[in-house]
Amino acid sequence: MWQTLKRHRYPYLFISPYLILFLVFQLVPTIATVYYSFTEWNGLRAPRWIGWRNYQLMMNDYMFSDAIRNTFRYWIVGAIGIMGLSLLIAMLLNSKVLRAKQFFRTATFLPYVCASVAMGLIFRMLFEEHAGLINEILLSLGGSRIPWLTSSAYAWIPVVILFVWRLTPWFTMIIFSGLLNISDEYYEAATVDGASGWQQFVRITLPLLNHILFFCFVTITVDAWRLFNESHILSGPGTSNTSLFELMYTSAFKNFKLGYGSALGVVLILILLGISLVQFMVRRRTGEI
Amino acid sequence: MHRKSMLLSLVAVVLVVMVAFPALAQKTYPDGKILIYSTGQPHFRESFYQPSIHRFAPNVDVETVQIETMHAGVQKIAMDNLAGAYKDMPDVIMLDAVGIMNLVDAGLLLDMTDYWTPIADQFVQGAVLDATIDGRVWALPDAVRPQLLFYNAAIFEEYDIDPAMMATFDGYLEAGRLLKERSNGEVYLSYIDPTTYTWRYWGRRGLMPQANARIWDEKGNVVIGQDEGTKLALGFLDQLHSEGLLYRTTMMQPPLYEATDQGKIATFYIGAFWDEFLRKNLTKTVGDWRVMNAPVFEEGGTGGAPVSTYFCVVDKGDDTYVDLFLDMWYDFSTNIEERNAWVNEMERLNGPYSNPVSLDVLADPFWQEPSAFYGGQSFRKAEADGLANPSPNMTVTPQDNEADGIISAEIEKYVAGEQTMEQAIANMDKELKLRIGRADMP
Repeated sequence: MWQTLKRHRYPYLFISPYLILFLVFQLVPTIATVYYSFTEWNGLRAPRWIGWRNYQLMMNDYMFSDAIRNTFRYWIVGAIGIMGLSLLIAMLLNSKVLRAKQFFRTATFLPYVCASVAMGLIFRMLFEEHAGLINEILLSLGGSRIPWLTSSAYAWIPVVILFVWRLTPWFTMIIFSGLLNISDEYYEAATVDGASGWQQFVRITLPLLNHILFFCFVTITVDAWRLFNESHILSGPGTSNTSLFELMYTSAFKNFKLGYGSALGVVLILILLGISLVQFMVRRRTGEI
Repeated sequence: MHRKSMLLSLVAVVLVVMVAFPALAQKTYPDGKILIYSTGQPHFRESFYQPSIHRFAPNVDVETVQIETMHAGVQKIAMDNLAGAYKDMPDVIMLDAVGIMNLVDAGLLLDMTDYWTPIADQFVQGAVLDATIDGRVWALPDAVRPQLLFYNAAIFEEYDIDPAMMATFDGYLEAGRLLKERSNGEVYLSYIDPTTYTWRYWGRRGLMPQANARIWDEKGNVVIGQDEGTKLALGFLDQLHSEGLLYRTTMMQPPLYEATDQGKIATFYIGAFWDEFLRKNLTKTVGDWRVMNAPVFEEGGTGGAPVSTYFCVVDKGDDTYVDLFLDMWYDFSTNIEERNAWVNEMERLNGPYSNPVSLDVLADPFWQEPSAFYGGQSFRKAEADGLANPSPNMTVTPQDNEADGIISAEIEKYVAGEQTMEQAIANMDKELKLRIGRADMP
């Protein structure tokens, strides 16, 4: 090993800043998290080894199952919403008929630069039951007030809307850059062959954006499982819209149950690892990687 | 010999000067600042502290940092301690009983017993009750504020209802029914919040201590599911809510103040701190509000548990400014002239202030003066009167923070209409047993 290190000392030297930071700030804390997940620790006194008890508690904890259900919902609905909207907006921005493209590109990106906490507070006002704009619009359309943030049945909806609204601009830009890389010649040839717009989209655009869409899906997946601000600010009754990441924070830093919070963190790591493995296996099976 | 006599003369001169001019003997401090963590709006307090500290040490400043909750402050200190970042810790933090218990348990607070004991007689009785653990005093009192009933007198006059009937909870309920009936459902007795505030203000700080309710028994076992006091307290809230007497809206948010200013909400059964929020956020009903003691459950019942807040000196291994802070705290607590001037300024700015804990300051006629916002009634006197018949506070344990989260989640589901109050209480009991098991009793 030392000989290999010596032989490739310059490449290793160049990647060492990242490696050191990775070790100190990611690998070591991750290993420590696994250790603490088997302890009872309030952050103030020394941790006490309790074996699997945190994991056993998790299995009987409705807050944990609520958080898993909610995060799964944010992931699926969020991924479909963000990718669908991003693709649609990116194609509009790339469209030849659109005027003032520069303005629309800038305007599209604006939600992403807004602080999510500030947006959360605005969304809280928008979805307020008695005085919120959303309910006022529903009333003017002949509908009735919906207790968006005060009912377990609806509380997840504002969270997912905010999540989609906030991330769509970023993924729009990524997909838009992918669209710019697709040569017009493909579309011109398809047009000559009599392909419809839909056929061009399905046979040309989607296959050529495949890698970018996969990247988007992986990134959205990670973002969805790390979702915190949205559900924290737009909190509903109890844990009706609490995300797994928020539950981890609450357990560790609000209730000072750092052991239980670490156990939740370990589960989160395993879930993300599992999802990533499945995604890559599917891609490998289809010969895409 | 000559040199020796010169030296003795010099020492004698210095001693004479120090006796004649004690100010010159005042302790000196190095340049720097005292960092204080506090909830609420500590910059208002800073406007008192800054000139105060300069009277003791012109080269030292005060910096206040707002913390969202006292628990958030404890969390920050715990994290700094864990990281060994002792210099980042505040010198002083404002805490309640749970926070004090947590930091004492971690050995992060300085013992104030020796400072407090000789001056205890100057302050209201029980001022450090919640800050005393195993006979040692761990914090200095900042405020002891009662539970009160704020009501809109104009609404009661309009619907010909005597506010005096709200002296008991039976009367309070009856007043709510009359308001609903006579206003055709337009006026609500009070509010109910869909988030954590319902448990905090209606439950833990309100009805629960007044009903002698318990979460834990003497050994720390969970008893909330079987406790008669809990059934009385939360049952009463259920009755108000199920009869449609409470307007559902989020606390501290514009829609609540809007509804209140529109005359939709007639009363607030809440701590004295609510005065500041009413003054700051209501514009159309200024002068209509009055204050009375909190209702009691029955004849001879107690009138609400006071909420005490304390300043705690953090043990960060550096006691440079501890004495200076103590001087400043004492000045704020006992300097009648400066304190009254500061309160006047707070009223002008709609800033927060509370009644003093010093008996001398409290005896000053200033604390009986009428308040324009309350139509000439003296809020300060009402606040002092509200402390007359206090309920004992609920027993506090280090697990109470987590317990509050568990209990509040069930109350929130109740407010959302997803379970009955009986189910909520049963679920609280079950979840507390599952997740905490037994609390560490003080």
